Amino acid sequence: MLGIAALQPYLIAAFFLWAALMKLLSRRMRSQAGRTALANLVGPARAIPAFRVVAGAELVVAFLLLVPPVLPAVLPVGALAAAAMSAGFLAYLTYSYRAEPASSCGCLGAHGKPVDWRSFARAGSLLVLSVSVFWAPLPSWDALALVVVAAEALALLALSPELDRHWLLPARQALVRLRRPLAVPDPGQVPLETSLRLLYLSPAYCTASARLTSDVQDVWEEDGLRFASYQAGEHTAVFAIPLAGEPTGVKVALV
Amino acid sequence: MTTRRQMLRSAVLGGGASVVAATALGSLGAEAAFGAAPPQVEPGTPDPDFAEGRIRSIKDNVLLVLGSNMVFHNIRVVDGTSLWKLGPVAFDQAKPGDGLYARGVRMPDGVLAAESVWLNIVNIKGHVSNITSEKIHLDHNGKDVLCHVVPGRSVAVLSDAPPSSDLSTLRVGQHVQILGAWRPDTNEVDIATVFSPH
Amino acid sequence: MSNSPPIDLLGPVQGEVSWFCCGTAWGPCSSTGKGACGTCNSGSMQHAWPNTSDACWAITRPDVCGDALSRRTCGFRHRTTSLCGGASVITSIADCGPQTDLFCGERSCCGSTCASNRLIDLTPAAYSKIASLSTGLRPCEISTA
Repeated sequence: MLGIAALQPYLIAAFFLWAALMKLLSRRMRSQAGRTALANLVGPARAIPAFRVVAGAELVVAFLLLVPPVLPAVLPVGALAAAAMSAGFLAYLTYSYRAEPASSCGCLGAHGKPVDWRSFARAGSLLVLSVSVFWAPLPSWDALALVVVAAEALALLALSPELDRHWLLPARQALVRLRRPLAVPDPGQVPLETSLRLLYLSPAYCTASARLTSDVQDVWEEDGLRFASYQAGEHTAVFAIPLAGEPTGVKVALV
Repeated sequence: MTTRRQMLRSAVLGGGASVVAATALGSLGAEAAFGAAPPQVEPGTPDPDFAEGRIRSIKDNVLLVLGSNMVFHNIRVVDGTSLWKLGPVAFDQAKPGDGLYARGVRMPDGVLAAESVWLNIVNIKGHVSNITSEKIHLDHNGKDVLCHVVPGRSVAVLSDAPPSSDLSTLRVGQHVQILGAWRPDTNEVDIATVFSPH
Repeated sequence: MSNSPPIDLLGPVQGEVSWFCCGTAWGPCSSTGKGACGTCNSGSMQHAWPNTSDACWAITRPDVCGDALSRRTCGFRHRTTSLCGGASVITSIADCGPQTDLFCGERSCCGSTCASNRLIDLTPAAYSKIASLSTGLRPCEISTA
């Protein structure tokens, strides 16, 4: 157990480093800064400077967590800073969720997705891990501790929407290719929209459309044709659309 | 209804043409029509000949609609009015709680004589976040909208290609536009058309 | 911003027009808000333009599709003419959009007249003036008004 606790500072530091570097170096993140909840809090013009300040704080916390093997006395300070930062993130996420539900948090990358349970779970996990660092001895590299910390890292990564496009989306794409959930047997009937798109391509529709004053009033099929009627001022425009054919086969009459 | 359909069918098969000649319009020639066109509504302002809101009640052939700006509209539906609810429907398909857009002519008594009514119509763009059995999960402005494929009705339009009932060409992660009918008081939509750029 | 000159600088341009809802309306529109200009309403004669600001441009990037467009700000008026029948509507900018770069190369046709790339989004009130809402997407010509 103590071995697991001893490795937590590295895990937490890695996340803070990642967050800081994304805020400082990602052009995409800078371009989307104005659409985050932080921009709504401090104003769009101050969003990027505000992100830089947060990134600076994250770098300091990461440093304080990585330094203890050389300066053990710093560990409690690092733990306190990480816990305070994580608590701050939770407060910011709560603000974002309540006040700006459509905005993203801009926490660890530019993904544009609003705050959801995954963001809270990740920040909450970082807070718990930060608190555990208070009791962490200096690190020892036993295999079980490494496995557990690796699992924690994977869990935190899975809770990060910023990374969805690297694993979740490809996984879903593979599953869809395998299962083909939208492959349907031939319905045996021509959907109405297919006929209407054919109609829009027809010379009959082009010459009559300026006169139409309604959407489709009535539709019925007979003898391989689909009939569609529209209001045309005081008249009715009726189109005969071949169920299988070319746009030039569409006929129109004004009644 | 059958008699009217028979009459229209006879007209288009008997006297119909591939194009509408100017003479076929009679007194409704283009010059007269465009000359009589109503003046443009001031840009940026509400169009009095358009209504938006949710149906509160239905009495005879009049829909009482409460707009999102808290204004009530009385919308009269007549024989020539088209109604859309995932496709052309009869008046009895309109229900209280349905979302509505309507275009027509505003009468002096304030009633909107509707030419077209669209019930629950939505036109939403977003990323396909997942595809499950006959459902497309759409990330629309950060909100998850569950879009149902309706067999025999839903089609995919890939750029200017003919529409297809086979939606299996759609990919998780791609951007699409979905035109469909919202299921009131849910985050779910029935798909009429999926527009995909490729 | 793009280095190419805007295609709408010297005359009308052709592209695709779609529609979107805004304001505190029903359905999936309920959380959309009043748009980038703070005034957008589904019942008003308004539209979204892909180049209302640097932040807007960064999202829509019409230049990626080869269609750099002029910077026009909230309230600017455009005329959108349907290439299907010739009906037109004049609207003012109330929001940023559409996301042109996500639909690059997409084409819409009416008869043999086609246009590519989404260049403008109208409110339902405006779109229904030139086409039925159920069409969803139509080719159009855009000019200043």
